[in-house]
Amino acid sequence: MALNEKSKTNSETLIPSSTNTITRARPSATDEFGRSTAKIAVAQLCEATGFHAVKDSALESFSDIVIRYLIDFSKTAKFYSNLAGRSQCTVFDLLRAWEDLQAPLGFSNGMKEIMNYAESMPETPFAQPIPNFPVIRERKIIPSFIQMGETPPGKHIPAWLPALPDPHTYIHTPVWDERVSDPREDKVEQARQRRKAERSLLNLQKRLLLCNGNRNRNESTETTTTGSDPDEDVAPAVLPVKLPIVDGDRVSVLEAFAPAIEKLGGGGVLCDDDDEIDGEKTVIPAATARPTVHFKFKSGKKFIGESLDDRNKKRDALHTIFLVGREDERDDKKRRAEYILRQSMENRQELTLL
Amino acid sequence: MNQNQPQSSSSEGRADDDSALSDFLASLVDYTPTIPDELVEHYLAKSGFQCPDVRLTRLVAVATQKFVAEVAGDALQHCKARQATIPKDKRDRQQKDRRLVLTMEDLSKALREYGVNIRHQEYFADSPSTGMDPATRDE
Repeated sequence: MALNEKSKTNSETLIPSSTNTITRARPSATDEFGRSTAKIAVAQLCEATGFHAVKDSALESFSDIVIRYLIDFSKTAKFYSNLAGRSQCTVFDLLRAWEDLQAPLGFSNGMKEIMNYAESMPETPFAQPIPNFPVIRERKIIPSFIQMGETPPGKHIPAWLPALPDPHTYIHTPVWDERVSDPREDKVEQARQRRKAERSLLNLQKRLLLCNGNRNRNESTETTTTGSDPDEDVAPAVLPVKLPIVDGDRVSVLEAFAPAIEKLGGGGVLCDDDDEIDGEKTVIPAATARPTVHFKFKSGKKFIGESLDDRNKKRDALHTIFLVGREDERDDKKRRAEYILRQSMENRQELTLL
Repeated sequence: MNQNQPQSSSSEGRADDDSALSDFLASLVDYTPTIPDELVEHYLAKSGFQCPDVRLTRLVAVATQKFVAEVAGDALQHCKARQATIPKDKRDRQQKDRRLVLTMEDLSKALREYGVNIRHQEYFADSPSTGMDPATRDE
């Protein structure tokens, strides 16, 4: 029926509010749950009486009064039982309390009124099942001295009292770190590992370029170098070139520097890119004619370093072109890389170890 | 004898009462009052009422329920009486205003007979001078 729905919605709006109050993480010192439940019960009774709706403020005041009535009733009953020298209440205590409450309303017929009411009213149970409340939280009991197996410090403390807290909870005791860690040693170790990694990287690159160089030599018949061991060609003029960026420009820079490389006796271009060691073979184009040198640089990066002219001179080993934009750490790595290469060039026997 | 008779009649009356009461208590086990048992037990425990018997808690619940029903009934009477006195057309009243709403006004009137004096705020103003005659207000 529409009436039922309306008052049901009224009581239903109460229900979410009561669940909201329950989910709040706060001790129930304010008795929120009891109040909400009482509101629902009162709303239900009002609906049974014949109201279509209840105003919120009216409902709150009404439920407050109902709770007080309940407490009043039970207090009076308890009072009468205590008066009779008992701690537990009986039905007669309730009867007397009831008469006490009904006194201002005129002569009371005893419990008959209640009985008549109960018989006349149709049974309307509460809308929702509610748990036993208030919920008692299990409290951790501090074990006594006897339970802990300790003797109390002082004769005036009996052993059945809760034990005193451990001294570390209130005294600052120094803690020593068991682990031996030498920062200097750690740094040295780290540097060593990094060097190892770089060396293997360089070796890989060399190998790749070796293969490339061999292929190119075989293809092109007009190379400048004459009758030489491919190894010999490749080894002396390994040029580490620092490439500007990771993606895509590797090939173009190779193109650009190919003539210079050829002049130096053929060699590989070392790509010192930590990110892309995917074994991709960079094809060095056959240098039949001098292609136009074109640089492809990303914006924002400056090109500082020796010009190509320098490279044309037969110099000892390595030219490095440093680009601005790298961190100092990277420069350090490059320097180390050059050093390694220099070493490897000086000792050609080591090439077999690559 | 004359003295005995009223005593016996009163004692009989009391016996009847007792039997009625015990019957009633027995019937309470089946009856579920609207106010839930857990709620009643909580407030009974709060005020020191100690009783393991569920019938007594149900008795208290029924008594409270009776109180609520009485007050609500009185408020309903007030509400209906007020609706009857408002001068409006019959058409309006029958369609819309038949909606019975429990308001603070009706509740306070009903509770006054029970010794509970509630005074409800009629309206809330922003400042002390709200609603005053503009001429008397200090600008």
